Amino acid sequence: MTRMDARSEVVRRERWAAPRAALRWLTTPHVALSLVLLAVLAIFVIAPIVNIVVDTFTWQSGDTRFDRSAVAGEFTLFHWTRVFAGPLTRRILVEPLLNSILTALGATAVALFIGTGLAWLLVRTDLPFKRVLAPLAFVPYIMPSYTLALAWLTLFKNQRYGAPGVFEYLTGIAIPDWFAYGPIPIMIVLGLHYFPFVYLLAANALLSVDRSLEECGEVLGASQWLVLRRITLPVILPALLSGFVLCFARVIGNFGTPYFLGAPIGFMTLPTQIFSNLGMRFNGVAYILVLILITISALAVLVNQRLIGVRRSFATITGKGFVTKQVRLGWWKVPALALIGGTMFFAAILPFGLFGIQSVMSRLGVYSVEHLTSAFWLSSGETITEGRPGVLVSPVILRALWNTLRLGIAAGAVAAVLGTLIGYASVKGRGTPLAKALEQVAFLPYLVPSLAFGTLYLALFIGGFGPIPSLYGTFALLVLACTFRNLPFAARTGHATMMQVSGEMEEAAQTLGAGWFYRMRRIIFPLVVKGMVAGFTFVFVTSVRELSLIITLVTPETMTLTAMTLRFEELLLVQFSNAITVLLIAVTLVTVFILNRLGGRFGAQRSPV
Amino acid sequence: MRRVFVLALMVVALIGMVASQASARDLDQRTDEWLQQAKLEPYAEPTLYELALQEGEVTVYSYTSRIHDVGRMFMERFPGITAHTYDMDSPEIINRVLEEQRAGQYRADLIWLKDPPTAYFEMYEPGIIHNWVPPHVAHLIPDELKEPLMRIHHASLSAWFYNTEVYDESPVTNLWDLTTTEWRGRVVLPDIVLLTEYIATFGSIVYHADEMEQAYVRRFGEGLELSRGIENAGWEWIYRVLRNDPLIVRTTHEVTEVVGEPGQTSPSVGLSAFSRLRDLERWPDRRFGVAWEMVDPVFAFLHTNVHGFVRFAPNPNAAKLFLTFQMGDDYDFTGNKPYQVLGNWLVRPDGPVPEGAPPLAEIDYWDFDVEWVWDHYVQIVDFWTLHRP
Repeated sequence: MTRMDARSEVVRRERWAAPRAALRWLTTPHVALSLVLLAVLAIFVIAPIVNIVVDTFTWQSGDTRFDRSAVAGEFTLFHWTRVFAGPLTRRILVEPLLNSILTALGATAVALFIGTGLAWLLVRTDLPFKRVLAPLAFVPYIMPSYTLALAWLTLFKNQRYGAPGVFEYLTGIAIPDWFAYGPIPIMIVLGLHYFPFVYLLAANALLSVDRSLEECGEVLGASQWLVLRRITLPVILPALLSGFVLCFARVIGNFGTPYFLGAPIGFMTLPTQIFSNLGMRFNGVAYILVLILITISALAVLVNQRLIGVRRSFATITGKGFVTKQVRLGWWKVPALALIGGTMFFAAILPFGLFGIQSVMSRLGVYSVEHLTSAFWLSSGETITEGRPGVLVSPVILRALWNTLRLGIAAGAVAAVLGTLIGYASVKGRGTPLAKALEQVAFLPYLVPSLAFGTLYLALFIGGFGPIPSLYGTFALLVLACTFRNLPFAARTGHATMMQVSGEMEEAAQTLGAGWFYRMRRIIFPLVVKGMVAGFTFVFVTSVRELSLIITLVTPETMTLTAMTLRFEELLLVQFSNAITVLLIAVTLVTVFILNRLGGRFGAQRSPV
Repeated sequence: MRRVFVLALMVVALIGMVASQASARDLDQRTDEWLQQAKLEPYAEPTLYELALQEGEVTVYSYTSRIHDVGRMFMERFPGITAHTYDMDSPEIINRVLEEQRAGQYRADLIWLKDPPTAYFEMYEPGIIHNWVPPHVAHLIPDELKEPLMRIHHASLSAWFYNTEVYDESPVTNLWDLTTTEWRGRVVLPDIVLLTEYIATFGSIVYHADEMEQAYVRRFGEGLELSRGIENAGWEWIYRVLRNDPLIVRTTHEVTEVVGEPGQTSPSVGLSAFSRLRDLERWPDRRFGVAWEMVDPVFAFLHTNVHGFVRFAPNPNAAKLFLTFQMGDDYDFTGNKPYQVLGNWLVRPDGPVPEGAPPLAEIDYWDFDVEWVWDHYVQIVDFWTLHRP
């Protein structure tokens, strides 16, 4: 080989070095997987958001009502002017925005108080009946969020809104408007619905606090309360702040509760305002409000990251300490149990019982035996049911039940698989920009409130997008929305699971010559099945009880039980909506019970957030 | 010779036979032509039912829940055709149909909705919905009730309701009563954003601003002073009512519920559809009645509702058959029966009239001008949004 040959060989190698490295990089399984997943997320997460941003700057089809010369698709600043600088700015932006922030803050405070208190009592004290109470704590989260709102109205509505509620019926005491409708009940009801969320975070934080820190305090003679106040609380504060912010971002997008409890006094929040604007086909305006909601959630999460970043330097979480000693409650057990029992009663048992009773009453507001009826469950149609067959025999409702179940199963399955793949790709590529990008994009749906998410999907997929045909009115659209809306949870679960799965076994198999698919099938998957069941359970539960997300997407054929409830509520066939809610909760509880049997206890996994 | 004769005879017979054959064929052909012309068997055109049978189903979106009864009766009368009936609010019908057109997925064949301004200007004019008048009733119905879109009842009315347990007769007689402190927090109004047919109702109050002003003078004995930025007495009335802490509800059912619930001490008055009188069947305890004494300046407001045949829909003939049945076909009025209730005035002058229904001509109501309402549509909604509690 001459010198010339050697040099050209080097040149050739250099020339091909970069492409070869790129090819090698691209064919690395987790890189290829990351890229594919990113492409999928680009279509189902990023494109919907970009799409409505564009829509806010262009005339929409119904806009000729504002301006006869409007041509759909042409550029305009009209929607932005209408929202930010028009005579209606106060009504469609400022008031709903302030109301949303106010109720979300209040509800989050309620959730934080109950959730943290419950976590402390169940993790750190010698409270009896813990094994019963711990799973019960999730029941409010399993029920549709508006269930409690409807229960509240049933209990506390006053004559302003027709027949007095049960409370006034029994006691004769008239409830003032401020307690019956508007911000106060919205905060309480949403707080009671979302506290399990905080409970999960707080319980995990408490479990991971190094117990020796507290023991130090005790040894030095500090009382139990002093230890709690000066050591335990500061240590779990980052987790609590995080819980506060994450819960806030969730609550602010809730539609059903403010819709039912705010309407009687005209109390509007951003989600209800979005719903009204969509109903009138003022889409440009609705989309801007959606973007504002997304921005608020994004800001909250950003603040969360900042706070945690700051607090972490102070916190001394050093992995799991073994809890050796529990706080003795002594006589405090009684009020503690009463408090928990009371919360559970109001958040779970009362609504369920109330709805059950109401669904067999022929006349509402008159609770006597002669008004008992099974018409709303079993009849083939009577005057009091407006000729509609009962819940258990109505083909329409049974179809909605079937839709609900298959929606939960399909979304749960797809999300669990996607979440696991994302977890795998991001853990394998830990630290690389690609893995970070994947994690962040997968988290993005968390910032989009449910109602807004549904709106995004309707706007993008109604007319077909790229290779995807029009998904309007299809069941697939519901599944996609529920899957990607809940992907952050599934992805977090997947990530946590993959972190737990040791890389050594996979490497050993690799050394022995096992291919990627083989390793995935024989090693990773069996290890992660448990995590997948947890992810599946979570997405299943949130999907079957979902209203905000799917209310803009359902059509008569794809109607689900929750959407059906809203419809009957509007027709004042309250017994029907109550019966359907009872059916929904019962079916969900049974399913969760079965899933728990299959894959360990619900919540046994690390918190999905 | 004889042979020749026989032969000739045979030839003649043969020719005759052939000729008669020919003329028989000719007769057959003429008969056939006549049958084609007369459209008798086997050339009878398929009836609507036969055409509809080939389609096998029909999907109807309707603003009233009574459509389910009609659908059930339709399927009994016309076996082999499945009627999918859906009841939803008018805005939802409009949204769905527009979405279906955009998505290219045509589900609804026939729609029936309130809110004619939107139906005309956003759906009929752009060609999204089309009209068809059942031939057997065409001659009975005046043009304005079948053009541009067909109606079943040309009027349903909304009026004021009061609690008959507390009051022997309507406690309000003048629209301006509702703006007084006595009725603060005690007026129930349907939300025009959700029940868009009431946009026309409030529009007609603005449209009749002069009469509103005169009614004010009759009520208070002095001239009306308009609030700042308010154009006329119609807007002023809406403004003052909205500032009087009214309860705004999502359905007309809720109006009769709030007004008519028994055991109240200071019950509200509310605006609702006449046909809500039917609520008394479902809730016999309720105590409410139509405020016949509320007459100044007007007693009631007119709503109309229109049909549309949706463009590109898969079952046009079944849809025609459905509308024919719904109009009361030439056999009997079965399919029309659910609409023969107090508060509806049917377009068929030959149909049965519900018991106790006064002729429409004897009722004092305000109609609305479709085009005027359309021109003021957003203005009315915005005014409502701005001033509602």
